[in-house]
This record gives sequence, C-alpha cells and structure tokens, in this order.
Amino acid sequence: MTGIKHFLVFLLMLSVTITGYATMQRDNVLKGNKAYSAGTYSVAAEHYKKVVDAGYESSELYYNLGNTYFKLNDYASAILWYERAKRLDPGNEDIDFNLNVANTKISDKIEPLPELFYKRWFNDLVHVFSVDTWAMMCVCMFITGLFGLVLYMASRVMVLRKIGFWTALVVFSLTIITMVLAWNGYNFTKSASEAIVFAPTITVKSSPDDKSTDLFVLHEGTKVRLLDDISGWYEIRIANGSVGWLPNNSLEKI
Amino acid sequence: MIKRLIFFIITSVILSVTAGYCQDVRLTGQAKQVVMVGETFTLVYTLNAQGSGFRGPNIQGINVLSGPNTSQSSSVRFINGSTTMSITYTFTYLLQASREGTFDIPVATVTANGKQITSNKLSIKVLKNSNSPGTQYKGSGNQNQGGGSQPGVSAGNANDVYIKAFASSSNPLQGEGIVVTYKIFTKVPIAQINISKLSSFSGFWSQNLMKENDKLQQTTQVIDGEQYIVADIRKIALFPLKSGRLVIDPLELSCVAQVRRQTKTRTGDPFFDDFFNDSFFNSGIANVEKNLKSNPLIISVKPLPEEGRPADFSGAVGNFTFHSEVDKTRLKTNEAVTLKCTVSGKGNIQLIDKMDVVFPPDFESYDPKVTSDIQTSVSGISGNQTFEYLLIPRKPGKFNIKSIRFSYFDLEKRRYVTLTSPEFDLEIEKGSGESGAAMTYSGANKEDIKYIGSDIRHIKDNNFRLTRTGARFFISTGFWLLLIFPALVFLVFLILWRKLAARRSDTVLMKNIKATKVARKRLQKAEEFQKSGNVDNFYVAISQALWGYLSDKFSIAMAELSIESVHDALVRKNVSETIIAQFIETLNNTEFSRFAPGEKNVNMERIYNEALEIISKMERELK
Repeated sequence: MTGIKHFLVFLLMLSVTITGYATMQRDNVLKGNKAYSAGTYSVAAEHYKKVVDAGYESSELYYNLGNTYFKLNDYASAILWYERAKRLDPGNEDIDFNLNVANTKISDKIEPLPELFYKRWFNDLVHVFSVDTWAMMCVCMFITGLFGLVLYMASRVMVLRKIGFWTALVVFSLTIITMVLAWNGYNFTKSASEAIVFAPTITVKSSPDDKSTDLFVLHEGTKVRLLDDISGWYEIRIANGSVGWLPNNSLEKI
Repeated sequence: MIKRLIFFIITSVILSVTAGYCQDVRLTGQAKQVVMVGETFTLVYTLNAQGSGFRGPNIQGINVLSGPNTSQSSSVRFINGSTTMSITYTFTYLLQASREGTFDIPVATVTANGKQITSNKLSIKVLKNSNSPGTQYKGSGNQNQGGGSQPGVSAGNANDVYIKAFASSSNPLQGEGIVVTYKIFTKVPIAQINISKLSSFSGFWSQNLMKENDKLQQTTQVIDGEQYIVADIRKIALFPLKSGRLVIDPLELSCVAQVRRQTKTRTGDPFFDDFFNDSFFNSGIANVEKNLKSNPLIISVKPLPEEGRPADFSGAVGNFTFHSEVDKTRLKTNEAVTLKCTVSGKGNIQLIDKMDVVFPPDFESYDPKVTSDIQTSVSGISGNQTFEYLLIPRKPGKFNIKSIRFSYFDLEKRRYVTLTSPEFDLEIEKGSGESGAAMTYSGANKEDIKYIGSDIRHIKDNNFRLTRTGARFFISTGFWLLLIFPALVFLVFLILWRKLAARRSDTVLMKNIKATKVARKRLQKAEEFQKSGNVDNFYVAISQALWGYLSDKFSIAMAELSIESVHDALVRKNVSETIIAQFIETLNNTEFSRFAPGEKNVNMERIYNEALEIISKMERELK
C-alpha cells in the first residue's frame, strides 16, 4: 500500500516537473514572438533557439525561427528551419509559401528533375497530413473496423449485420492505407538525408578529395540530398540530378 | 568645295586655251635602248598637252611590271611680260626584260585637242645577263673607249662584291632563337643598296634586329689577303616554330658598285703617266649595277625533348622569370580587382600569348590586356610580356585563385622549368550598394521574379503544442497499444461470443430432441392421473405436455406462448393449416374441459386421445 502511494507521489512530481519545464519553454516562445513582432529579430532567434536546444519541437516553432532568420537576411538558416518545419507539417501552406520566398533569395537556381507523376501524387498524398495525424486516423479506423466486425457477428438483424460487414471491410482497408501513408511520412521525417549548403560559395568535387576535379559551384541556401558519407565528405545530389562531393562542414542536415 | 570647283573651271579654261595655242603636240616614248636580262627599267611616254584616252603599246617579249601610271605637271612661265604655260602628261611603264633579244615596242596613242596623236616606235635590245659589266652608265668621269684604254677587269670580278648569310647556329632547338646575319663584302665602294627579294622565313617566327640607323656599319676584314669592307645589311632573330630541316632561301639585292677604271693614258711619259693615272686625275669611275644573291641557309631544327614536358607547356623557350600579383585582396562585391602576370626574360617571349589562369566561377573575368615591352638587340630578343586580368567578384565569400603555372624550356639547363605564382586568397565582402545590384543580378539570373519585393508570412502566434524533439505518436508504444488493445478486447469478445453461442445452440437442440419424449412422459402421467381419478392434475399434465412440446420444439419461451403466437410459429415452420387448426382445437378443448363446470371425467378419455393423436401427427409432419 505504501509502495503504491510512493509511486503515485513520484508520478505527480514528475508530471509537475515536466509541465513546469514545458511552461518555461512556452514563455520562451511567447518572448520570441513578442521580440519578433517588435522587430528585434536577433532576440527572437535567441528565445526560439533556447526552446529548440531544450529539446522541444513544433512545426510552428521552426517556422517562426525560419521567419526570424529570414528577417535577419540569413537565408540559408531560414531555409534550413523552414525545411525542418516542413518535415513536421508537410502540407502547411504558410511554410511552403515562405520557403518559396526564401528560395528566391538564394543564388542557385536549379531546375529540378521532373518526378514520375504517380510518385508525385503519392508524395502529395503523404504530405496532406502530418505523420501523427495519419497515425491517429489509422488507430481510429482500426477501432471502427473492430466495431463493425462486432456488429456483424452479434446482430440478429440482417441489415445491421450487412452494415457491420461492409463497414469493417472498408475501414480495415483504410487502416492499411493510412498506415502506409504514415510510414512514408515517418520515413520522410526521420531520414536526415537532406541538407542545406551553409558555405557562401563551395565547389562540388568529383571525389572526396580536395585535389579532385571541380564539378560545379553551389551557394548558400541550396538544398542537397545526401547519398553517402565518407571520412568528412558527403556525396550529394542536387535537384537537377548532378552528383558530387562536399565536405561535411559546409552542410547542415535538415 | 565651291572654291575647288571654281579653281578647277578656271584651270581647265586656261589649259584649254593654252592647248589651243600649242601647235606642236607630241607624244614621245623614251626607254633605255640596251638592257640586261632581269633588269627593270622604265618606259616613259611624254605628252606636252592635255590628253585623254591613252592607249599603250602592245608590249611583247618584255614583262610589264606596272603601268601605265599617269602623272601630270604644269608650269607657268613669265618671260618678258608674255606668259607661257606648259603642261606635261607622262605615262610610265615599269618593265622587266625577261629574255635576250631585240624587242620592238609599237606605237602608243592618245587623244589631245581632239586629235589622235601617235608616239614613236621603240626598239629595245636585251642582252644576256652575265657577271660581265652590266649597263654602263656614263659616270662623272670620261669613259674613254678608245685611246688604248681598256675596261677594268676588276669591275666584272664576282669577288669584288658579294653577300653572304650567316646563322648563329645551324641546329637549334625548336623555339630557340637564332640570329641570321646578311653581310655584304665589297672591295669597291657601293651605293644604292636595294633589297629586291627578302628571304621568306617560312617555319620561323622572325624579328628584325636592326633599326634603320643601324644600317651599314662598316668594318674591314682581310679575306685571302684581300681587304674587304664588310657591312651587316640585315640581322634577323629567328625562332623555329617546328622541328626538322628548314631552308631559308637567299636574299637578293641590287646595288650600284662604283668601279674604278684603270684608264691608263699612255703618254709614254712616265711622269705624266704617273701624274694622270693617280686617283685624282684618273677619275674613271663606272657605276655598275649588280644583282647579288646570298647563299641559302639550311637549318636543321631539333625537337624539344619529350621527357619531363609539363602538360601546360605552350612553347616558350629561353630563360624567363615569372611574377604575378593582385592589386588587392580584400574588396567588396562588384569592385574590380586586377591580376597581373608578368613573364620577363630572354627568348621567344612574344610567342607567349596566354596564361593558364583559373578563376573562381563567381568571378566575372575578361580577356587579359597583353602588353609587351620587347627590346631587340643584336644579341637577340628580351623583354617582358604582361597579362592584366580584370576580375569582378559578384558574390561575397572567401575565394582562392590557384597558383598560376608557367612552363618553359630552359636553354641553359637544357630542361623544362615550371614557375608558379603564389596562391591568392581574396576576401569578398558584401558591397554597400550591393542590395540593388544583387537584386538586379538575381533578377537577371532567375526566371521568376514574382516574389521579389514580396514578404514572408507572419509567424504563428497561436498557442501551439510543443513536443519533445523526435517524439512521434506513430511507431510509439502508445500507438501500438492503441492498435493492440482494441484488437485484444475484440478477441476476448470473440471468444466469449463463440462460447455463448455454442451453449445456446446446444440447449435448443437438446430441447428439440427431447420434446417428444417429455411430451410422452407427461401424457403417461396424465394417464395415471386419469386412472386414479385426479381430474385437476390430469388436465395440468395434458396442458403442460402440449405447451411444453411447442416451446421445446420451436424454441419459444414458455412466457411468450399464447394461442396466437403458436399459430404464427407453426405457420413459419411450414406446418399444414389443418394440423395447426387441430392442434389449436385440442389446446382449446383441454382448457375448456379443464375449467368447464360439470362432469370432468367424461371428457378425460377423449382429451387424452386427442392430445396423443395431435402430437403424433405433429411429429410426422415435422420429419
């Protein structure tokens, strides 16, 4: 009995600590917002960074941070944070809009390779909701499907049994679909296989070696896909399909 | 313009007037009568009036080098108050005799004062060219053909004057400079040196080393006991452009040699002879035109060694130093910076036409400005070649201009030498007026400028949820629990449901099977009650047998049973209407007899039989 009591007290304290901590971060976010609105962008950036450093995330927080860097004319950082925000909330129109604006400010204009139409559609679909939304939908569908099955089995009324059966069939299919979408979204979020160039100007090499041939030049703020990682060098691919090597320190993973 | 026109009109009026007075209009052809083969000479037609429509002679056997060239002169003379004006037209041909023989030059015609005027005919004798004296001009002195005088043999001597070509080296390396000198050797004074044919230096890059005022510095040299005056006519630096046997063809020139004639006046008096034959009095000097030709030179050019040849070697041979510099290393975007590379030294420096410079791609670079400062001296060519590159960085950042390499073949060390400049680190800052410039730049570079000038959307100020970084509902324990727990609940429900259903279906079946037995048992009981005369119990037993049979057989709860529901249930079971009617009648009869007043024993036998019969019928019907 006393054991249970102790455990409950511990849980209570833990929750208080956690909520207290979270409240502190809340304050930081509010301070950041205030500073942003006042036009003191560097102060806003500091506050937002504190929250991020404390280990919290939110697409809105990243978005705000991106805005702050944009206002500080640090377009590479702005793009980095917009991209991070986009990972958490892929379908968000505001993030897309600001990311586009930031991308017009950087030097490199890369013509992206056209994606196969079904891949594009699928990716668009995956990004309609965030991963967790898809996951919640998946769970809800599953439970609804179970209810449908119960209805089918338990009901003595023919109409109800039919409704139960079809509901279960449709809803279980949807469960699988949402599961797949959530999984794809999750992979997109988790894979740090994209990065932003942070060096003002950097020459992409043909191999992971300073002496190798210069292939092309990238500038600050350009997004690259990481393919390989060898002793301080990343193999990268840019949107138009060109591949080369860049030193690690010139890139910041999304 | 008008002035000129007026002048022209006046002149032409005067001229025409003068021409009118001039009675004796003549066209006279003049040329040398005797020429040598190969000699060039002039043929001049003179017209002492204004003429037009000159038609030259048809000259055959003699090459026409140029002509007719028309020239005009006029003069006005005032003599004793009277004014004379004369005008002369000359038509000049430059001719060259190509072969021996006598050639007639037919008449030429011209139109003057409306009349056609014909010239005189000419005859030209072409003699065979030999080393013998050419056309002899009448010199300043008297040339006494007779009187025992004889032409000086020395004037015809080929060794009196000749030219010779010397090469400083006859087998240089490719690109190594050699100096070719043409010297004239003469024992007699010469004048009017005219180079008629220059050597063509095919396969070489040449540079004249002699300036005009350097010409003909004379020295004396004794060759085979004879004293010669030697002068450099031409000095040329040659740089072979290819390897192999290259031939420099001879230089040809013509000059006038002043040949002293030993005109011995033989008076017989030694004193007079000596007196008149000295240099002062014996001024018999003949001007002899001579055509001279130098020897051809054969230069065998060795190729440059293959081994150790740098990849960026572009042909520079000599001895060079290399220097490069930038005028500033810290600057702002869109400012200009100059990179200067200077190659200086001795060798084929003017052949260095480009530097291998790699600029960072973000630099706008222009073609270099090349300035050469070349000194030509008799020893060869030296100087420096400067390449000035103008660069404009367009982007801020740290840039590096890689070291520039310049390779040449060192003639002294006999190997390739590569000189490198230091690397230049340039730090480019954003220019102050950069925003405008950069905007233009990016605008020019990009397709869509629709966002330029627009702004980002405002931050999210709503009370959004903060989550721990990396915390995801998907794949989390909570997610799996939410999936598994309902599934487990469902499974439990499924199992329970199955059991319940099984049990229920069992009781129904058992009841169905036992229904007939139970009914028979109850009827037996009723029979016992009938015998013992227990009327009430008999009817209860019959009623129970009938209702119980229905309940068990058709799975209808006892409480739900009534006459109406029995009818519906039996209809649903496809029991025939007659049997249903009989069954219901039996039920009614039972109830009626049970509660009817009067003698109950009478009906007992009948009710019992009816019940027994209808159950048996029902059994048969349901099978």
